[in-house]
Amino acid sequence: MSEYNGCELPEDLFYDLDYVWVRPEEDGTLTIGVTDPAQTMSGRLQKARIKKIGTHLEAGRHVATLESGKWAGGVPVPFAGEVIARNEQLLEDPHLINIDPYKDAWIARVKPDDPQHALDNVKTGSEAIEALEAWIKRYGVQCMRCSE
Amino acid sequence: MTPIDQIMQQDHERLDQLLEQSAQAVGKDAWQEAAQFLEAFRHGIVDGHMVVEESTLFPAFELQEGGEDHPLTALLRKGHQDLRVFFEEMAEAIADQDAETFDDLLSTVQTILKQHDAKEETELYPYLASALADQGEAAGKRILDFEAEATS
Repeated sequence: MSEYNGCELPEDLFYDLDYVWVRPEEDGTLTIGVTDPAQTMSGRLQKARIKKIGTHLEAGRHVATLESGKWAGGVPVPFAGEVIARNEQLLEDPHLINIDPYKDAWIARVKPDDPQHALDNVKTGSEAIEALEAWIKRYGVQCMRCSE
Repeated sequence: MTPIDQIMQQDHERLDQLLEQSAQAVGKDAWQEAAQFLEAFRHGIVDGHMVVEESTLFPAFELQEGGEDHPLTALLRKGHQDLRVFFEEMAEAIADQDAETFDDLLSTVQTILKQHDAKEETELYPYLASALADQGEAAGKRILDFEAEATS
């Protein structure tokens, strides 16, 4: 696990180099969530809306929108696909994203239209970590993780 | 000539009204009217307001503040990028006559715009007159021309 300005950046995930992480699952689907620096920038989240199961999304469209008292934003999917699962717990308690953005607070699972090219627009490993560190620096983020 | 900070702030208010008119039309199931107001809003903000900011105002501020990678303009540029996607999604919701999706998107977009506009009005606009060689006269004229075109 890499860390920069207090932000945790798992090296095994894929990133859109902005808000979003992507984790390939064994069944070919892709799980999506938001990064530690993104949850820090957003502040304590109070509302999460996630697209319904069965919704088809083009690449770049929002699978979810998140709102805190001071911030609102979307969670774009980096590839086209269909929502096959969503984290219902987040609808009740979006603040979970501030506590555990990489595990319990996954947002949605998407079945890509074109599995072979679904990860073409995301990066992983050292290349991703380096770009995310530049992102953190650009926006002046110092990560804080809520404990409850 | 009205100062550039006032012109930009007034443009925010004009655009907010267009978005609100689109929302009111959605509330009345007046989908064609909603689409027209949303397109007027989108055209004004994306093709007018954002273009003037990204091509003239942000670069002038960055030049004065010492570089392209300034956290304020980086955040504002990113805000524009995110908003453009939301506007497309709102237009799709209207085309689908999907009031629930439109209202969800509207709530998010209005929150983003409130924060974004406040940041511009307090941290960017007050410094523009001194950052621009002509005190913002050309940029202000472009915005006023755009507003005149919208009302003609």
